[in-house]
Amino acid sequence: MPLRAPVEAHHFEALGTNCSLFAVGGSRGRLLQGEFWVRRLGAQLTRFSPDSELSRFNDAPGGWRDISPELESLLRESLRAFETSGGLVNVAVLHAMEAVGYTTPLARGWPVASELRACSVPPLPDVLAVRPGAARLEPRAAIDLGGIAKGWMADRLRDSLGPNAVANLGGDLSAVGWGPAGDGWPVGLGGATVLLRDQGAATSSVRRRRWSREHHHLIDPRTGLPANTGLEEVSVVATSGVEAEVVAKTALLVGPELAPAYCAAHALAWWLSP
Amino acid sequence: MRAVILKAGATLLTVAATALSALYVTSHLKNPAAPLQPTVLSTSHGVAVSAPGGTLTLGPAVQPSAAQPVTSTYAS
Repeated sequence: MPLRAPVEAHHFEALGTNCSLFAVGGSRGRLLQGEFWVRRLGAQLTRFSPDSELSRFNDAPGGWRDISPELESLLRESLRAFETSGGLVNVAVLHAMEAVGYTTPLARGWPVASELRACSVPPLPDVLAVRPGAARLEPRAAIDLGGIAKGWMADRLRDSLGPNAVANLGGDLSAVGWGPAGDGWPVGLGGATVLLRDQGAATSSVRRRRWSREHHHLIDPRTGLPANTGLEEVSVVATSGVEAEVVAKTALLVGPELAPAYCAAHALAWWLSP
Repeated sequence: MRAVILKAGATLLTVAATALSALYVTSHLKNPAAPLQPTVLSTSHGVAVSAPGGTLTLGPAVQPSAAQPVTSTYAS
């Protein structure tokens, strides 16, 4: 039985969800600094505040605009996710999300389930260009960074917490080090417990943030409508939190026939739920 | 006359070589003992475990544990 080192834990609500930080040998002050960082980035990158950097970027399309290093990194990550997912992970879905009624945080109340109206989603590289310190968005496009931002933040946060830590931002989590018992961080995945070492995990689902049988938050960019592929939930372990997020969403969108082969090629472990 | 004979001979030789080659190839489709045969890397698709509500598959880089999880991935 390996010795189990004490784990410092810190839980808080941010990004419209529950967040948890864990560290072996870390100080509580460092975990609190992590919370402040999450809150600062959350305020900077939310689409629900008109004053956020993301909203100002969405509201001023057509020309080059100076952006922060964080937004630049996330936009580059979004372009990479578009490429690696064959266009299925596309952050230019904001207009389609608004068309199905998802215009305010769900904590403020559920949207009214109106008649579904398809809203075409442009290919991200056609509407977004990024250069050092600046980016340009075409007028017909708007961006929601969603899960990519949480996975990206979890990856950066875990490294700031120390050499043996986990950051879990609303289910997008990233682990570094050997965990409290030296064999990895025990993490729940699809009803089982797995050990993560320098890996990330994420879940993509249409069961949450759903306000009718047809209305939910996960837009299929091929149709511009809420996804209906035969898979309702996919959880994935990958080499990083953001990678897990991209693979989980892609697997859910390709559906139950292709998802096993796709996950076998891109994930380290995976949970598929129809 | 000599040129015609040469042309006919060359044509006959070509046809015969083609026919014999085709015969040889179709009768020797594969030699399993041939040297330098590349080994095919076996692809691991992980161990699939059926669980209530879905299927969990673990690749070789992820180990299961009986320990209590400190946290979980979940839909939010």
